[in-house]
Amino acid sequence: MAPPQASGAKDPGKPVLAGLKLAAGKIGSFIFTVFVSSVIVFFSRWLVPGDPISFLLRGRSPNPEAIAEVTAIYGLDKPPLEQYWNWITGVLTGDFGRSLQYRQDVSEVILGRLPVTLGLVVMSGIMIAVLGLAAGICASLLRGTWADRAIIASMSGLAAIPSFVGAIVLIAIFAVQLGMFPSFGSGTGFWDMIYHLILPSLALALSFIAVVGRVTRSAMLEEFSREHVEVARSRGVTPVAVVIRHVLRNALGPILTVSGLLVAGLLVSSAIVEQAFGLAGLGSLLVSSVDRLDFPVVQAIVLIVVTAFVAINTLVDLLGPVIDPRLKAGEGAR
Amino acid sequence: MRLLDVNELNLDIKVHGAPTLELLKAVSLHIDRGETVALVGESGSGKSLTARAVLGLLPSTATVTGTIDLGGVQVLKANGPELRALRRTRAAMVFQDPRSSINPVRTLGAHLIEPMMQEPGADKAALEKRAIGLLASMGLSNPEARMKQYPHELSGGMLQRVMIAGALMNDPELLICDESTTALDVTTQAAVIELLSTAVQERSMGMLFITHDLALAASIADRTYVLRNGVVQEHGETRQVFEAPVSEYTKALVAATPSMAGAPKTGAHISDSSQTPVLRVENVSKTYYLSGQPPVEALKNVSLAIPAGGGLAIVGESGSGKSTLGRIVAGLEGPDTGEMSVAGGEITGSNAKERRLKKASRVQMVFQDPYQSLDSRLTPAKALQTVLKLHYKLDAKAMNARVIELLESVGLEEKHANLYPRKLSGGQRQRVAIAKAMALEPRLLVLDEATSALDVSVQAQVLELVNKLRREQGVSVLFISHDLAIVGEICDELLVVQNGSIVESGPTAQVLNHPQHPYTQTLLASVPRPRWETNPHGAAEPQDADLEPAKNSSL
Repeated sequence: MAPPQASGAKDPGKPVLAGLKLAAGKIGSFIFTVFVSSVIVFFSRWLVPGDPISFLLRGRSPNPEAIAEVTAIYGLDKPPLEQYWNWITGVLTGDFGRSLQYRQDVSEVILGRLPVTLGLVVMSGIMIAVLGLAAGICASLLRGTWADRAIIASMSGLAAIPSFVGAIVLIAIFAVQLGMFPSFGSGTGFWDMIYHLILPSLALALSFIAVVGRVTRSAMLEEFSREHVEVARSRGVTPVAVVIRHVLRNALGPILTVSGLLVAGLLVSSAIVEQAFGLAGLGSLLVSSVDRLDFPVVQAIVLIVVTAFVAINTLVDLLGPVIDPRLKAGEGAR
Repeated sequence: MRLLDVNELNLDIKVHGAPTLELLKAVSLHIDRGETVALVGESGSGKSLTARAVLGLLPSTATVTGTIDLGGVQVLKANGPELRALRRTRAAMVFQDPRSSINPVRTLGAHLIEPMMQEPGADKAALEKRAIGLLASMGLSNPEARMKQYPHELSGGMLQRVMIAGALMNDPELLICDESTTALDVTTQAAVIELLSTAVQERSMGMLFITHDLALAASIADRTYVLRNGVVQEHGETRQVFEAPVSEYTKALVAATPSMAGAPKTGAHISDSSQTPVLRVENVSKTYYLSGQPPVEALKNVSLAIPAGGGLAIVGESGSGKSTLGRIVAGLEGPDTGEMSVAGGEITGSNAKERRLKKASRVQMVFQDPYQSLDSRLTPAKALQTVLKLHYKLDAKAMNARVIELLESVGLEEKHANLYPRKLSGGQRQRVAIAKAMALEPRLLVLDEATSALDVSVQAQVLELVNKLRREQGVSVLFISHDLAIVGEICDELLVVQNGSIVESGPTAQVLNHPQHPYTQTLLASVPRPRWETNPHGAAEPQDADLEPAKNSSL
């Protein structure tokens, strides 16, 4: 039989190393995913019908010299692989090429639109986190009561509302009827922008609040039923501490995972909400650029959106072991 | 001096739309300072509920009458803050499964100091120092480093020591142990019981020890209460309760507990060694490779044979490889190396399905937990028909007759045939599982801890059923168990495994009465024995077998 081990505790250096290894793997797969999507994004241009050159020439007579000039400017005469290489090396230094419709650097066009979309997504994110968590936590604490049922019912309703319907309803009530918020544009200056973005953010957030709320509720209920929660109670831990340290803390894992996946939907729906509220953001830029075959802008926006989505989910993955130390040991939650 | 006085405690649970459940009926019990009191009973007897009532931990749907006086505090009248103060400082509880009792995402240090940190004027450094001291006194090595470890890094036995340390953090006057050693291996159980009795004696605490295991109660308690269906059947000095029980229920319970019944039984010898053995296993090895972990050698060169009609028991602790062996014998897994044959000869067949059916008709397995091994949407009749249809061509009438015959052979009646599993008791479910296994008239029945999840009285009945099947149908039995006390009920041959190897084998009587290998001796010495009996084997004190980092826990 094995003798009692004097140093049964693991070497404290080891978990850190394991953690670094895990992080390196996640970041490696992040880079790989972004690379693969950049290839897809770039080459999908060849799948789309329509020729950017004819758009550039705006229906003017196809003068061979003009065509040759435009082709040379945009490097369209080079082999596709070389075009990709030029594009991706440019992207890595912040040069996304030139927009066909604005005749400006794509990075300038995008930088001009970015604050609105960023503000919209961040404000929605905050609303989703605060209201979704609050609704889910309240429902789980009041489980089985009429209040719980009311929260579940209203969340089911909210989840079924598409963001453009939500936007129209919100405009009708808060902008037209009550006149509390503007219904159009993004205002001037930082605070004015935030004020202008409240309604759009809420319209964007509504259905996501419902999803996060329901996930939070069920994750909380699952954790409430764990034995260690009763053990904590039996040891005289206060109810507030039990909920925060033993229930919510343990429920964070699934909530965070679902939230990471929701980001994709958030970025996509922002295009719709921007249209509804007449906001000059990335979403509306994407829609108009697709319309006008402005492929450098489309490629840049799609790449940015994909990168943001993958980055956030990589971050969620990296947070996993911090939230549940069992993941670090590679044992996984059984 | 009275420490705990429970007087005429009644507890009803009223759920809307369901009849009122009277779970405790006029339960009275008391514990003096420095006294250890056992509360024994089978599942559903209300013993855990009584323990929770002492701490005021009752479901909101419960209505309670009676009084609970804990060191001068009226528990049932106390408000929230008073109850919390009571739980932090006066009474502490150690639960059954240490792995689910500690929050898996927080460190052991955080677990240990959490309640006392909520007392006004708590000093974190002093509490941590105290926690480290307690961990050391629980026999845990390197206690400072343990404070920063997470539960998954420790074995079950070590975690239960951490739980006990947590319970002792503020010198409670009453320690409540609710099946605190049930989930542990027998050698670990012996070590933890030793720790508990030492802690109780040193601090002259009162202890309420709740268990289903009469032998364990007899090994630790001064007085014992026997509880059944929420009613105290009998109470008194432990020795008197077990040696001269008054109530019929206690008598039946004592009779059903193998280790209380005196000398170990040696199993019926009904095997016929003249024929070729039913099971032959030669030099079988199996290694599991888990990602990110060192390979686990579950079985190393194991050889065994069971004669026709024979009964072989495999005894070992968790991680010994005994279940892997059972799964290999039942054909659920293949060995890495080695040979195995069931009921003689190669299994041949033209296609995979035929081979599968042939194999199934030779060996069948019964699993531990009848609550999980039966499909909750299939009635016993449906479940048996599914099995029978696969193997036999029977018309409706013959099928029906066969189902009834099978149910009767395991002691069930026709009326059980169309009840869903949720309407059946644990014992009835296990009978259905056995009937399913016997439906194909296999030559070999593998029972993997098949009675471990059952109450003792039910366990006795199921063991008797297995014996009956052995006698009447000549089926051979491979009985896998952690419990040395019951293997003699069924098996005439015994095999002890440790870390994937057979350390001792022979006739049951010989191994149990004259163990040769030190590990067998340790196992036997760890079986709880009434305090008033001396240790017959004189074996060494149980070693700290659980003081290894958690591993093999998934096997």
